[in-house]
Parts: sequence; C-alpha cells; structure tokens
Amino acid sequence: MKERYETKFIFKYWTNVKNDAIDFIYVVIICTLLAFVVTIIGPIKNFLINFVVSQSFGITIAAIVFWSLLIIRPRSWELLLFIVVIDVCCAVIIGLQICIFILQYFFNIVLDFQANGLGLQIIIGGILFGFFGVYFFITKTRLKYNTEMIKEEKTRSTDMEKENLSANLKVLQAQIEPHFLFNTLSNILSLIDTKPETGKSMLLDLTKYLRTSLARTLPEKTTLSQEISMIKAYLDIHKIRMDERLNYKIDVPDNLELHSFPPMLLQPLVENTIKHGLEPKVEGGEIVIRAAQENNILKIEVTDTGLGFSDLDKPGLGIANVRERLGLLFGEKGRLIIEENNPHGVRATIEMPINEL
Amino acid sequence: MNYKAIIVDDEKELRTYLKSMLAETWPQLEICGEAANGKEALKMVDAFSPHIVFLDIRMPGLSGLEVAKNIAGLCRIVFITAFDQYAVEAFEREAVDYLVKPVTKERLRQTINRLKKQLQSSPEPPADLARIVTQVLANVQGNKNADQYLQWIKTQHKESVRLIPVEEVDYFQAGDKYTLVITAQGEALIKKSIKELSRELDPQKFWQIHRGTIVNVSRIEDVGHSLTGRGTLKLKNRKDTLTVSRQYLHLFKQM
Repeated sequence: MKERYETKFIFKYWTNVKNDAIDFIYVVIICTLLAFVVTIIGPIKNFLINFVVSQSFGITIAAIVFWSLLIIRPRSWELLLFIVVIDVCCAVIIGLQICIFILQYFFNIVLDFQANGLGLQIIIGGILFGFFGVYFFITKTRLKYNTEMIKEEKTRSTDMEKENLSANLKVLQAQIEPHFLFNTLSNILSLIDTKPETGKSMLLDLTKYLRTSLARTLPEKTTLSQEISMIKAYLDIHKIRMDERLNYKIDVPDNLELHSFPPMLLQPLVENTIKHGLEPKVEGGEIVIRAAQENNILKIEVTDTGLGFSDLDKPGLGIANVRERLGLLFGEKGRLIIEENNPHGVRATIEMPINEL
Repeated sequence: MNYKAIIVDDEKELRTYLKSMLAETWPQLEICGEAANGKEALKMVDAFSPHIVFLDIRMPGLSGLEVAKNIAGLCRIVFITAFDQYAVEAFEREAVDYLVKPVTKERLRQTINRLKKQLQSSPEPPADLARIVTQVLANVQGNKNADQYLQWIKTQHKESVRLIPVEEVDYFQAGDKYTLVITAQGEALIKKSIKELSRELDPQKFWQIHRGTIVNVSRIEDVGHSLTGRGTLKLKNRKDTLTVSRQYLHLFKQM
C-alpha cells in the first residue's frame, strides 16, 4: 500500500519539467565528476575519453530509466527494480555504441576494447554506476516525499487542535440545557396556582442555579459550600419534577464546607447522574454526594443508582471538561475516577490536593 | 358526543396542570386516565380506548414517540415537548398536533378547536401518523446510532470496575494474554484483543498502526520515518514512540 503512494509520488515529481531539468543537471555533474575520478585512478588517462564515455552512459541510462518508468508506472518496488535492471543493461549497451560513435566521428579516436578486457571493465563499471545513480535519484525523491508527508501531517494536526478549541468553547456555552430550562419553567407555571409555595421555591432554586452557571466569567474560587448549595438547588428542581423517582443525600463534613473549591467542577457530574442515570430510569433512584479528606487529598464522590453507562453510551462533554479542568488546575494530582456502582449506576470520584485549593 | 382523553407525562405537576387547563378550555372532555410512563400509557389506551392522547415525548422507559408508534391508528395524539427541535420541525411540517411546554391557554385552545373539527369531520384517526412518527424516530435514533462505537473501556481495578472514556486512551498495545490500555493517568489491562478493539472503536478516531497497536489519532504529535521504511509516531505529552508498520503507513499519506 505504502509503495503505491510513494512510487506515485515519484512519478508525480518527475512529470514536472523543472524537476526533470534539475535532475538532468545532477546527471551531468555526477558524470563529469566520475570522469575526473576515472581519469585519476582508471586505466585510461585521457579525460576527454572518460568524459565522453561517462556522459553517454549516464545520459542514456537516465533517459531510458526515466521514460520507461514514466510510461509503465510500476506500482510496487519489485516491479520497479525489475524494470530498472533491464533498463540499465540495455542502456549500457546502447550507451557503449553511442560513445564509440562520438569518439570516432568527432575526435577520431578508436578504442581497443579487446585489450586488457577494457570493454568488460567499461560495461561492468557502467552497470554498477547506473544502479548507483538510479538508487540515488529514487532515494532523493523518496526523502522529498517523506518531508512533504510530515509537513501535511503537521498542518492537519494544527487544524485539528483548532477544531478542538472551538469545540471546547461550544461546551462552555451550551452548559444549560434548553430542555431543562423549559421544563423547569413549565413546572413553575403549573405550580403557581396549585402549590404556590413549591412554585416559589422552585423559582428561587432556578435563579440560584442560573446565577452560577450563566456567569460568563466564573470567579476563580468559590467555597465548597457554595458549590454544594448550587447543586442542591439543581437537585431540588429535579426533585419537584421527578418526585419520588429522585432521592438525594449530601454529606459534607463541617470543616470542609468553607474550604475553597473551583466553581462548576462538581455540577457536570451531578448533571450526568440525572441525565444518564436517573431520568431515563422508570423507577428512578438515589444520588449520594460525599466529601472527605484523606491525608492531603480532598475526595468528592458522586454516586447514583441509575442506569449506568453501557459500552456505547457517549460519555458526554461534562466528564471530559471536568478532567481537563482538573488537569489544568492540579496537574497529575487532580484525578477523576469513574467506576461502576454496585449493583446499579455509576460512581464518579474527584480527587485533588487539599493544600493547593 | 363526549370525547375521552388520557394524559401521559412523567412529571406529576405537569399532568395536573394540563388537566386543569383542559377542564377550563374543554369542560366536556373526559380525562379518563393519567400515565407517568410509556408502558402505563399503552395499558391505558388499551383499557379506555380514548379518542385523544396528550403525550409527552421525553419519558423514562418508552419514549412518547415509541408509544405513538404503537397507538398511531387507535386515537388522535397531541405531542407535548419542552424542547425537541427535530420533532417540532417535523410536526410543524407534517401538521401534527403538538404543544410546547410551558403550555399556554391560547395555544391549547387552538389545538382543541382543531381537534374538535377533525373529530367531527372524520371520526377515524389520520392514517399517516404512524409513518411520520416512524420517520422522526428513525431520525432521532439515527442520530444516536450514527456512531455506535465503543465509548467506554471497562477495566477491573481491585474490587471495582473502572470506566475510562475512549477519548482518554493514548493507545492500545497488545500483550501476551491481555491488551494494555495506556492513558495519561497510567496503564490498565483489558481482555479485549486488538482485533476486537479495531472493530469496535470509531475508525475516524482510532487507527491501527501495527498488528499490535491502535492509536488515538488526536494524540499524534509528529510522524517520522525510520531507515527501514517504517513510520514512527510521537504522541503528545509522551516520551515513548510508536512504530507504524509498512502495511499501515498509507494512513498517514492520504490526509
């Protein structure tokens, strides 16, 4: 699979005339360098001859490999290698003819290929350098492919981060569920005539809840008792709606009540117990909120006896939000643990270092 | 002729309220029952065969739409909803009777007048309600079912079962017998194999990159390549790198 994209990329690269021109210049330069080296260490000490031989070999090999690959466009490395082998062998023979012709016609030089196996040396040398050259150019293009791949991946991941950011903003804005709001208003309306006292207290609870959750800029720190009183208001609203289907208990030790606490950190968990746990359950159930201090850790448990999460239930943005905020506020020391409650429902536990609050 | 109706809503106060409003606006209407959930509603329709059912959409157990699907041909239905945008749009389009909470007297009167007219002109309930409800239901459930992928990883932790949202998993790594779940918080073991996971996880969010590795795409920070032609992944906030085998490298090209 990978080969296909990479070889495709190589062909795409080579269909660009500018890239081809650059690669052609490379071929000429490499062949010239080769002619120098051969002149110094090789059997023929004439630079002109070496230059003509290496150029005619190099350009022929490059041209044949280039055209055959572009026409056939092999999809796997195996096929590509096979084509290259045939190409190089043919190109060396053709290149040999070309250089003999050029030397004879333009420079009147006749090489004795029989002497000292010179012909064989040139052919073997041509084939070896041919393979080396092809390998060089393909590797060069592959590296280019990889760099481009990384570049694309990077732009993509920054795009994704931007998306995440805007998603987070939406979460914050959509914290009050319209369904909840209209249902509560409708309850209040219905209570005004029949049970005005209950209606009044529900309206007060709603006010308390809205005041905390609507505030655009939440105060950085409130006390645990403030958060709890907002949650009480929220649960009382649901208590009136759900009647005997909802029971709740809140147990916070006196010494923790005035402890500072990040606002709206507990609320999403309580909202989950209602939304995913108790509201969809015909018999309803119970919510227990318990705060405790263990060594230097403040632990708050929210337990419900609702439906619980099935494998396919979306966790909801609330949980991700709470975990993210815990991470931002306390790093690794802030934890949210979600467990199954026995025999029904969910227990969510927040843990945070008490002296950093 | 006197008509019979039942009221279905899981919230008692709202039933009482609607009942009192109906007593005022349509005194001749006999409220022969009140149901607090879908199952009760079905029983009451069976027992009383009412002409009209006032039906709340969001209820525990059977939802109002599911109830409606079952009783569509038997009686006229007036849906009640606090905020179900999609359903309301469909009802509006198909001229299905519905009330929004909080119910106002004026709106209730309009609905009643329409109901009276319909009942007088044709005593049989409209036949195409079942079709509309099925459509709305399919859409509501379709939205839910669109991503029926694994959302929670359940791991045994001492005495209890812990739930980890899949979004929090950095990657899954196959072990001898179990699969290792790696999150920022730590590691856990689960019995599900990489093969099962790759089937159950959302393929948009989780990619198998190796025979024994599935990675959370959103955690990928950088993609590199090794000299052997494999890929390497660096994850956000992690030191370890993951290997992408040749077989899966194409994932990182077509993006």
